[in-house]
Amino acid sequence: MTVANERGELRNPGLPGHEEFDTLIYGSPPLAYPAALSQYVIYNTPDPAYVTGRINISAFANLGSAPWPFANTNVPLNGHICIPRGRGPFPVAVFAHGNHTPTENSTPGYLYLCELLASHGIIAATIDVNFLNGFNSGENDARAIVHLEHLKQLRTWNSTAAHPLHGMVDLNRILIVGHSRGGEAVGHASFFNRLAAIGPVVLDGSAGLGPYRFGLTAVAAIAPTDRQFVPATGPTVVPDSYFIIHGSQDADVFTFEGYHTYARAHAVDLANPTVSDGKFKAMLWVHKANHNQFNSVWAAESAPGAAMPRPNQERIARVHLGALALAVLLDRREYFAVLRDHAVASAWDPAGTELVSQYQDPQRIFVQHNQEGLAAPVVSLPVQGTVAADGVAAARQLTALVGGFATTTITLRLAWNGAGTRLLLRVDPATLPAERYKVIALRVGQSNEAANTASRDQDFTLEVSSGSRTAAFPASSLHRLLFPDPPPFGPAKIVMQTLRLPVARLVERGVDPSDLRSIALVFDRRQTGVVYTGDLQCTN
Amino acid sequence: MPLPEPPKIAAVEVVPAQPSEADRAAIAHAGVKDAKAVYVVKVRLKAKPPVTSMSWALYVDDERVAKYWEYTDGIYFTVFDPQFFTRNQGKRLRFSYNGTDFFDTGVDLAPAPSVTDSNATRLPLQADVLK
Repeated sequence: MTVANERGELRNPGLPGHEEFDTLIYGSPPLAYPAALSQYVIYNTPDPAYVTGRINISAFANLGSAPWPFANTNVPLNGHICIPRGRGPFPVAVFAHGNHTPTENSTPGYLYLCELLASHGIIAATIDVNFLNGFNSGENDARAIVHLEHLKQLRTWNSTAAHPLHGMVDLNRILIVGHSRGGEAVGHASFFNRLAAIGPVVLDGSAGLGPYRFGLTAVAAIAPTDRQFVPATGPTVVPDSYFIIHGSQDADVFTFEGYHTYARAHAVDLANPTVSDGKFKAMLWVHKANHNQFNSVWAAESAPGAAMPRPNQERIARVHLGALALAVLLDRREYFAVLRDHAVASAWDPAGTELVSQYQDPQRIFVQHNQEGLAAPVVSLPVQGTVAADGVAAARQLTALVGGFATTTITLRLAWNGAGTRLLLRVDPATLPAERYKVIALRVGQSNEAANTASRDQDFTLEVSSGSRTAAFPASSLHRLLFPDPPPFGPAKIVMQTLRLPVARLVERGVDPSDLRSIALVFDRRQTGVVYTGDLQCTN
Repeated sequence: MPLPEPPKIAAVEVVPAQPSEADRAAIAHAGVKDAKAVYVVKVRLKAKPPVTSMSWALYVDDERVAKYWEYTDGIYFTVFDPQFFTRNQGKRLRFSYNGTDFFDTGVDLAPAPSVTDSNATRLPLQADVLK
């Protein structure tokens, strides 16, 4: 069934596709799990063609206190894999869970997503990392290694002539997805994938681990942690395209610390601000989603009634991770529309769902990124121009928008008390080739400070001028700027929404994008307010 | 809902043990001198908090313990460099979930027993230390 949406041609990516598939278990027998770990005995009898080896992760992690029938020198590669019928080759998505009580098998909790992707023609697996679960800390490098070793197993099967997966795996189209600590770990996996060694551990296969160097198309993190493991080189900067989804009622990872991972990924290079690494990043903040309901077997951790019903949360995961997978793995590039603007999926998401999203395209030029320092705001080089704050208090700050670790990303706080104030960016049109881009994008969000009315959307006018022509657009015509959802713990999160103003709409109003002279935020739609802005770009 | 509470520490004990093969590689890579043993720092907890993805990072004063693991009575971490104990002698163990807000456990790092060339050959296995 095709669900209509505002673009008409897109089918709901959260609905099953038409491919038939088989679901198998792979594993590394013999695995004599004791009674306390009875949920894992399924891995002792894998499909005969899908018997795997063991790996040594002792350089990275010890096992917890659960009575695992193996040591950290020979942990198994267990998992569930959904394989489309047909000749392939099929792209790959591999999911990993996070930390949870080790006596409960967390692995099957993403089968609902694996089955969806397989029905669209993607080999999708969910892997067993339960032996790293427990009351521990700092083991997420090991989770990353396990994830990469599962990919290596798929590569081995793909290259083994007699294996059912021979030639069926497209190793240049890989999506790795992790939840919670597994969500942090996929960021490390993206980083490790390019390394020849980690400390004393060589990754060339000579000592068992690696080589990797997979063609990771994208990395997706569901409610991830951040910086529980920190490489010797500093906090991990995800080098691949990155997607993150997190819920406002997360009562486990309640600091939305993955936002810091998102901020570090594909950030502006101050030495080369026009240079792009060719990767995108996208974020979805889901009001009323909690932590555990993204995993279908984990009981909800949030207070009763605080979170949306589980079926709704799983539906949101299906729609948005489905759109990501179709876009990056199956070249259904039209589904990037969902990443760019979550409103495209509004007919597919549960009615009444409130979402906030960000998207940064590889093609962009910053008009203002705010990372030059904490002095007064400026237009960012190489674009030249001036910034004038008329009646609005404009201050660049290292504000902890979402909690967690102290931030190193600067945002611009704009506070006004009286309608008609404005922040005016005058630009030299010779330095801003806006006509080469499709969109002017501004990241902006409101806080729960007293100047903002509780539960009311914030609003202002975006005014763009070229020569004598000016076009004005209410921010609310581009997207809602939601009041922060009260969190389960701690301060409310300030999550900015990317407002995307199509350049075509400027042209319709007579504004010449090749002669852009100014962009103004005019605070004429609310008497008072406080908003935070991240960056202003011309982009696609 | 109230913020989760950090673990409460009952006692800290440092036990020298034999390095594992992985430990020896890490010691060599780090260039640690006089690494005759691996020091297992056992942090006995009054009660283990529930297993979550959020982590209570453990600090000795301002120095973060990169990794710790669970054992029956609490958590433990391992130290290769005996200078760690010299550097942090008498310093307080603290927990933090965000590197900004710290929770003082009221318990100091215990000193490390000395390991000599002669007793280094008779050290227990780490697995035995954790029983």
